[in-house]
Amino acid sequence: MTGGRPILNVWGAEHAYRSRRYLRGVDLTLRAGEVYALLGPPGAGKATLVQAICGRIPLTGGDIALEGHNPRDTPICRSALGLAPHNLALYGHLTVRENLLTFGRMAGVHGAALRDAVSQTMHLTRIADREHVPVGRLSTGFQRRVNIACAFLHRPRLLILDEPSVGADPVAREALDGTVRDLRDTGVAILIVTHDLELAGDLADRVGFMREGRKVMEGAPRQLITQAFGQEMEILVQLDEDPDSGDEIVLAAAGLERRDKTNVWTTLDAGGYVAAARLDVALRKAGVIPREIRVRQPSLQNLFTLVADWQQAA
Amino acid sequence: MILAMFRVMLLALLRDRGALAVTFLLPPLIFVIFATVFAGASGEAVRLKLVVADQADSPASRRLVAALMAEPNLRAERDLDATVAAVRAKVRSGRVDAGLVMLTDPAGAGAPFLLITDPTRAMAAPLIESQVQNALAEHVPGVDAGKPRALFLHDPISGAKKGRGMVLYYAGAVTILFALFSALYGALSLIEERNAGIADRILAGPAGLAPAIGGKFLFLVLQGLFQAGAIFLVAKLLYGAPVRAQIAPWLVTSLAASACAAGLAMGLVALCRTRDQAQLIGISLFLILAVVGGSMVPRFLMPPWLQGLGTLTPHAWVIDAYQAVLWRDAGWQDVYPAWGVLVGLGLAGLALAYFTVRRVRR
Repeated sequence: MTGGRPILNVWGAEHAYRSRRYLRGVDLTLRAGEVYALLGPPGAGKATLVQAICGRIPLTGGDIALEGHNPRDTPICRSALGLAPHNLALYGHLTVRENLLTFGRMAGVHGAALRDAVSQTMHLTRIADREHVPVGRLSTGFQRRVNIACAFLHRPRLLILDEPSVGADPVAREALDGTVRDLRDTGVAILIVTHDLELAGDLADRVGFMREGRKVMEGAPRQLITQAFGQEMEILVQLDEDPDSGDEIVLAAAGLERRDKTNVWTTLDAGGYVAAARLDVALRKAGVIPREIRVRQPSLQNLFTLVADWQQAA
Repeated sequence: MILAMFRVMLLALLRDRGALAVTFLLPPLIFVIFATVFAGASGEAVRLKLVVADQADSPASRRLVAALMAEPNLRAERDLDATVAAVRAKVRSGRVDAGLVMLTDPAGAGAPFLLITDPTRAMAAPLIESQVQNALAEHVPGVDAGKPRALFLHDPISGAKKGRGMVLYYAGAVTILFALFSALYGALSLIEERNAGIADRILAGPAGLAPAIGGKFLFLVLQGLFQAGAIFLVAKLLYGAPVRAQIAPWLVTSLAASACAAGLAMGLVALCRTRDQAQLIGISLFLILAVVGGSMVPRFLMPPWLQGLGTLTPHAWVIDAYQAVLWRDAGWQDVYPAWGVLVGLGLAGLALAYFTVRRVRR
């Protein structure tokens, strides 16, 4: 759903503080009803871009338009913006409803309109059944949804979710996914800033990779993956225990790379299942017995690693 | 293993400048302040302000006035009107600690001196009597001060019950002391809101931070006002403090004191990075200000330089303002400066909090 009118436009955003350049000419457009995931390692400039969109910091170059206005120069246009910070920006001693009422009033919603907005938002974000429970007593996953609800209460046209899945268990993640999809269906543009590539892959219509203040890649997840990997499939080899140095040499010789300090080793191969079977035979012959070998489509994780490698090479 | 843990503790202390300051700098500093204040309070270093009126105008009285003016342990000034009313007015205003009127020739018979004192500075009377007797023995030959003789007539200002002035003094002292501590605890939420991202969420909205900071300030001011109300209600019920008769100036003074406490606490907390840091610095600072400002020992018993330093604290202004409106029957014009200073301090702290919290931390 990317055909809506533009809600946010960022043109060549630059931001420097002291001698460091945090943003180096970032372009970004978000349309109504679109979910956009901004990805990148820590220090890539994602948080700085969000601060600039929220009008917290001035740009040293370029421009930002939120509903046609610069959010720093025209604060009133920020009523079109809802921010769910990566921390749980909630009052733990207040109930869910009290938190919503508080942040609604701070966003300028009052009276009957506020009460209606609270009820609707609680149902939309699936938190109504715990409305009278103090937020501090809820699970992290539930608190995440309350965090989003407080940002959506005043019906912004742009909703920024900063690391919305941190601390959420799989069940809470599923509920969170549902919440984000329901919110998108209301027509709000959603900008998700996250390290959670799985979340981005599941929810985002488009993703943008940032690195060292630049946006280095952008597009629909599946399209980007296809462009980057073509017919290649990811082969994952799960080992029972840490390989010794001899086994590591065998694995590396087979073109496998260790994934994130786990016992999972991966490679990309256009041969798919046939290549996986060949690999299994070769490893066993060399004395390395895999517990499991899986074959799957490459994911954003592979793309992320590829982008990081390109950048390092550059 | 013991040494390993010892080293961890040592490095933690050495690498935390705040902890170092609290451990090694703050205790001697507080010791110096307490020693100065409380040693002064014992009478050794007290230099009372005395106004002298010479109605006798005899050779002996003139010599005694000159001796008192030259006495290093007193800050004596001569009242040119030389009337009891003028001296009483000065004592009542609080500008001097006591007044001495020489009614008759000190070398003659009877009680030649009228000592006008303020019951809120009860210690001043015996100290001044002692100074006068010493000067009399030394500078007026023929008068045997050691001989049993009633030299002084006493005139405590105000017809009020003795002790009420002191009650009012400490009511004001305790009000500002706890207004600051309560405001400090309330203002700690600024740090929690900053760390939780609530400030970010609010700042992303169209109204910015002003309503949130304003709401917090308003709450702390009203909290301070009700706290002051509770303290003075007890003072009224138990000691008959005349709050009801002076309700309007009391209300303005209490509002000004609460605004000052709220603003200063918010400004201080906004500057701190952590809750622990804010608590430690806040409690230490407010304790020092309380001692210097007269919340624990009346300022007139302190050395003059410390009394001067005390005027830089909100405590001194609050105590003086309450004393002025409830005890000294001062006019509104006499308390405007105190109200102005207190409200000004509060607004300065509020502005500091506002600009500090909205700043982006990198």
